Amino acid sequence: MWYYEKKTQYPVRIRKPDPRMAINILTQYGGPNGELAASLRYLSQRFSMPTKETKAILNDIGTEELAHLEMIGSMVHQLMDKVSPQELEKLHVDTMYAVHGRAVFPSDSNGVPFTAAYIESMEDPIANLNEDLAAEQKARATYEYLLKMTDDPDVIDPLRFLREREVVHYQRFGEALRIVQETMGKKKFY
Amino acid sequence: MDERTNLLEQIMAYDFVLYDLQLFLDTHPSDGNALRDYKMALEQSENLRRQYQAKYGPLTTRYLPNTTCWQWVNDPWPWNKEA
Repeated sequence: MWYYEKKTQYPVRIRKPDPRMAINILTQYGGPNGELAASLRYLSQRFSMPTKETKAILNDIGTEELAHLEMIGSMVHQLMDKVSPQELEKLHVDTMYAVHGRAVFPSDSNGVPFTAAYIESMEDPIANLNEDLAAEQKARATYEYLLKMTDDPDVIDPLRFLREREVVHYQRFGEALRIVQETMGKKKFY
Repeated sequence: MDERTNLLEQIMAYDFVLYDLQLFLDTHPSDGNALRDYKMALEQSENLRRQYQAKYGPLTTRYLPNTTCWQWVNDPWPWNKEA
C-alpha cells in the first residue's frame, strides 16, 4: 500500500504562467512516454519479476514515477493557473479549455486521452525489462524536447531533474536485466 | 524563500538522497557503503522532519499534533504555488 507525503519529490514553483508550455508538458502526464504510463507499467510488471532485487526495483521505480506524475501535474496546473480564456484563445490553446477548462487531465499534448495501450506487461521478465529500458530513453528524449521549448528557469529546473531521473532508472533497469539473465542462466531455465 | 519552505526543502533534499540510495540498494543489497550513507541521511531527515512537523503541521497523517482539529487539511498542498 502507499501513504501520502505532503511534499513533491523536487520543488515545483513556477511564477510566470505559460499555457502553451503547460499543454506541451501535459504529454508527460497522460501521453505515451509520460509518468502515468511509466508508473502503471512498472507496478503491473513487478508481479512477474523472478528475483528479490527485481521485485524491489520495479516496485520502487513504479512508486517514484507517481511522485513524478505529481510534479508534472503541479507544473501544468501552475502554468495554466488563472490565465484568462481570452489569453488562451490568443495563444491558440483554447481548444483544450473548451474540453477541460484549466484542469489537469491525463492526455497527451494533442488531447488524446491516456490509454493502457501505451504499456505492456508480460510474464517474461526479459521482455518487460527491455521495454522498460526503451521507455526510460523515450521519456528522456521527451524531456529534452520540452527543455528546448522554454527559457524559464522555473520550468527548466524541474524538467532537468526529471530528465536526470530517467537516466538513473535506465541504469537500474540495466542492472536488473543483468541480474535476471544471470539467475536464469544458473537455473537452466529458458 | 520563507523559513517553512526552506526547512521543507532541506527535508526534500535528504529524502531525495534516501530514495536514490534505495534504488541503488535494490540492485546492490550488500553494498555496505551505500547502506551506511542511507543510515546517515535517514537520521538527518528524521531529525528535520520532527522540527518541521512540530512547527508547521503534519507531512503525513502518522504525525498527530496535540490539537483539537485535524490539521492535515490545512493549506498549502504541494501543487499550490505558495507551497
